[in-house]
Formats: sequence, C-alpha cells, structure tokens
Amino acid sequence: MGLRLRPATGLATAHYGELFQGQIEDETGQQRRCLVSLPCDSLFSRAVFRPQSTADLTIKPERKHKAERAVRLTLERFNATYIGGDVTIFSNIEEGKGCGSSTADCVAVVRAVTIALGERLSEEDVARIVVKAETSSDNTMFRRAVLFAFREGEVVEDFARPLPYLAALGIDLLPSEVVDTLNYAPAAYCWREIQHFQALVGALRKAIRTGDRELLGRVSSASATINERFLPKPLFHEVKRLACHVGALGVAAAHSGTVVSILLDPRDNRLEYKFDLLQAKLREFGIHRTFRFQTHDHSLQIATV
Amino acid sequence: MNRRTRNNILDSYRPNLIALEDNLIAAVFPLMKIYPAEFCIRQAMQEGAIQADSLLIETSSGTMALGLAIVAKWSGHRLTIVTDSACDSALRRRLEDLGTEVEIVPAPAANGGYQRARIDRLRQIRDENKNCWWVNQYDNPANSGSYGVLAGQLLDMLGRIDCLIGSVGSGGSVCGTSNYLRALFPELHVVGVDTFGSVLFGHPDRPRQLRGLGNSILPRNLEHAMFDEAHWVSAAEAFTATRLLHRKTTLFRGATSGAVWMVAQRWAAEHPNARVVCLFPDDGARYVETIYNDDYLSNNQLLLPHLPQAPRKVLHPLDASDSWSSINWNRRSYQEVMGGEATVGATV
Repeated sequence: MGLRLRPATGLATAHYGELFQGQIEDETGQQRRCLVSLPCDSLFSRAVFRPQSTADLTIKPERKHKAERAVRLTLERFNATYIGGDVTIFSNIEEGKGCGSSTADCVAVVRAVTIALGERLSEEDVARIVVKAETSSDNTMFRRAVLFAFREGEVVEDFARPLPYLAALGIDLLPSEVVDTLNYAPAAYCWREIQHFQALVGALRKAIRTGDRELLGRVSSASATINERFLPKPLFHEVKRLACHVGALGVAAAHSGTVVSILLDPRDNRLEYKFDLLQAKLREFGIHRTFRFQTHDHSLQIATV
Repeated sequence: MNRRTRNNILDSYRPNLIALEDNLIAAVFPLMKIYPAEFCIRQAMQEGAIQADSLLIETSSGTMALGLAIVAKWSGHRLTIVTDSACDSALRRRLEDLGTEVEIVPAPAANGGYQRARIDRLRQIRDENKNCWWVNQYDNPANSGSYGVLAGQLLDMLGRIDCLIGSVGSGGSVCGTSNYLRALFPELHVVGVDTFGSVLFGHPDRPRQLRGLGNSILPRNLEHAMFDEAHWVSAAEAFTATRLLHRKTTLFRGATSGAVWMVAQRWAAEHPNARVVCLFPDDGARYVETIYNDDYLSNNQLLLPHLPQAPRKVLHPLDASDSWSSINWNRRSYQEVMGGEATVGATV
C-alpha cells in the first residue's frame, strides 16, 4: 500500500427534506427508525485536505467539530493517525435547518481524507464513520436509494437503484429559526402510524423500482403529513394545498428542520411556469426564502488537487 | 416458538396476487384473519392488557377462531372460543388440536339468538377468570388497524389501485386496508360485499345461510363513511359463484371469495381503465361437504342455473331483496343513509 500524501478534495451534497421518514419493522422483526433523504444538487460541502506527516490537525472553520471528528475517525480507520494536516471546508448549506450541513461536511472530509491516503471506502463505510462523528446522519452519501437508519448509520433496506431524479422548490418555512438535531426527541409514533409507514414503504419500493415519480410524490406527502404532528411547521398545510393546486408531485418535509420542498416532474414542459407560480404564491404568504433545485447527485465530481 | 420460525410461518400466510383479468387482481389468502389475530394479540401484549398466563377468549365460528388458535400457539397463550352449532367439526378438530378450548353454546337466547347466547357465555367466562382478555374482533381497533402490512404488499406489487372490493363481516379487512391505501390514494373506490339479513348496511337481522360475511350487530371496526358502494349477495349466488370460480380458475375458495368475485368481475368489466383489487379471504377446505357438494346445494335450493349479470341498483338498503343488489353508499354515515341512530358495538 503506497501511501500518497497529496492534497485531495471531497464533495458531498445536502438534502432538503425527506421523501420518507418513519418507523417500520425490518426483516428480523425489529422496529427501525429510518428515512430516505431528498438530495439537493445545489447545496454542497467541499473539503480540501492537505496532509502532512505531523499529527497536528487544523480545521477551518474552527467550529466544524463534527467534521474534525470525522477526519480523525477516517485517519483511525486507515491506521494513519500519525498523519495530520489542514482541512478547509467550504459549504453553502445553511446550518441548523435540517438540511444535513454537518453530514455533508463530514462526508466531504471523509472522502477528501480517503482519497488523500490513496484509499477507497464503500458508501456504507462512509456512513458508519459519519454517524460516529455526528450521532445521526442522512443518507446522502449513497448514490442509490436506501432506507437508512439515521441514528445507527445503517442501511435497513437497499432499493438497489437510484431515486428517479426530481425537480423541487426548496422552502424555508422558519427562516429565522434553527434546530439542534441532536436535542431532537425521536418521534413517538403510535401503532397506527407505524402501520401507515409499513404501507408507505411498500409504495416506496414500487416507486423506486419502476421510476414512478407520481407515486413517490404521494409517498412523500403522506410521510410529511404524518410527521407534521411531531414537528409542526407554519403554513405546512397551505404549502400542501399549493402543491396540489399546481399539480406538483407532492411535498417533502425535513424531519428535524424547518424546510420543506415541493416536488415536481423535471420533464414537465410547464416546469418553469409552475416554479414561477409557486414562488409568487409563496411570496403572498410572506415566504421569500425559496430556491429551485434538482436531485441529481454531483458528488461524482471529485478531484485531486 | 422461536421468533424466526414464527416470522417465517407468518410470512407464509401472505396472499398471492393473481391477475384474473387485465384490470382485476385477486389477493388470494390462505387465511386472511391471521393478520388481525396476530396484531390484536401483539398489541395487547405491548399494551400490557395480557400477560404470559392470560386466558384469551373470543366468539367466532370461523376463520378468526383459527387465526387466533394459531397465533395463541406461537405466543403460548391459552385460548377459549365460544361458538355454536355452526362451527363445523373439521374446524373444531383443528382448533382443539392446537390446544384451543372450544365451547359450544347449546341453545339460542330467547332474545338475540345464538349471537346473544355466545356473548352471554363470554361474559360468564370473563367473570369467572381474573386474568382473561376478550379479543373482540368486532370492536378492537387493532383488527382493522392490522392491515397496513397488507396495504404495503398490495402497493409494492401494484402501485396505484383504483378500487378495492371485499366482503364485510367485522369491517376489519375492507376498512383497514382502504384506510391505509387512501393515505396515498384518497380517490380509492371502496366496495363492500354483504348478504341479506345482515345489519351491516341497513337490513334487519335474519338468520343467514351465508357465513363468513355479514353480521347481526354493527361492529365498531365498520366505518360506513369509507364505502362508495355496498352490495348484497344471496347465499345461493355466493355458493354458485364460488363453484364457478373454481371451475373457471381452479382457485379452491370459500363462499366469501365467490361473493366477492361475482361483484368484482362485474365492477372491473364496467371500469376497464381502473385497476381493481379484490380480497379472497379463505380457502374451500371447510366447504367440501356443503358448497362443493351438489346434493347439498340442490337439497337446500342453493344451486342456481346461472348468476345474475348485474346487480339490481337501489336507492335505499331496504329496497334490496333476495337477489344481488347494490347501492351507491357514497361515503355516507349509517345515519345519513338509514336515518336515526344505530347501536354500535358488541357489548359484553
């Protein structure tokens, strides 16, 4: 194993809500809390790791403690704790919004460190390191769709193919508020909700297997509606109505955050018109923090410097 | 029984989804009631309503008893089933072999018939046993609540479903499954199949030859406002349809499947662009001596030369009589259709 000590860059995208979040019984009969994130291609973290053969590690910005932990865990993973260096993270993801900014930071640094060491990691291994670094994670490190146990960093079910790509309007319903993911009490779902989730996961399997965006949108709306009971967001029902009104596919909500996304078919030839209409209507409600995005995963574009 | 074995066996009760027509899929169950039986008991354990040494009791003359007997074997609970002479000996033998105590009430009550007599005996048993729990399939929300899993299986295989058709006894399977499907497809059209002399959709209570659907009481699990249509099918029609189903498709089913098939075939043919799912709850094993016996059918005037092509459509339940009828129930409450309050629930 030739150890290259060359600077490397890692990229990771954020998410903007969840297509599914809930609790189901896995194949061993155990109850698992899990989710499927809605990836957002325009929000990302980029980490540059400049390794040195000293053990000192500096990270910029300094407050990114979880990312620092992720760096150390990755070095540990490859028995390279004698290596240090500096890590610089650039991110355009707003923190505390439930968009996975810390996950994206962590995934980006894990990738950067891995490449710098000339190593490889599976997406599952990346997930394991990230959840250790930050106690809870989303599944944006996976290019294929998975049902992800976010507190354990484990794949509960592998859907084996990517999500059909979607267009979306991201909406921050509480722009002046932030959420502390860790202090978030897990939702105490009642048995009826758990049965609902069982049904939704069946539909989710079908939607992903056949690339059925319409069904996926319905699953997402149903899941968001159940979870609204636990983290109510102002104007959530108005947003749902609006989505229905323009013939959107559905809505996705952040399970521990303030954002929602309205899901649209990227092949819709009235897509621009629908975006314009939605943004105009939302402004009437006093919501100005919205942006258009797609769910393509650009983390394929990683480069060494 | 170890958990893995139990899960594997429970899994083996999953329905087979069989496309009978291009737009008609039958969910063919070995024993549909295993779902509510398993979930009712599991929920009761979860909520602390029963302990390891509790006695489970229920009144049923059919597949719910069998479902409970199987699940009680898995969970190690004692089970007493209170039934009447309608319980066939083959079923009784199966129940007893699984360790179930089968009690047969000797005579109908003066007021309320065998139903009342069974409930009275249930009450007695409950009074005599401190650590006793009544499953109460008619009112226990865990019955209809258990069908989320089935809804998931249907959605996984089929995606969008436009219409669900099933027989109604406790209301569990149809109301339960529709409830979960409608979270995704609120426009889902729901059709219930009942029989004459059943009070479920507004008829007066009468002795019924068609068992496995219909009821003499209004169960809480039946939410009338979920139904778009209700159909009444006679015993002769159900039995004839069951035989026709067997000869046409080789599916060996019970009378509820035949009744549902007759209604579903027609509905699917009238709506060729709709994807229709119908529920076939149990198999024909218990009906070998009756439905599958031409002598029995002809001696009891239960064999029809042919089935009606279509139901007689009525505007009010009481206008339906004797042969296949249907009403556009239109998601109304019982009260909206029938006027006046109804007594709901099986009280003990």
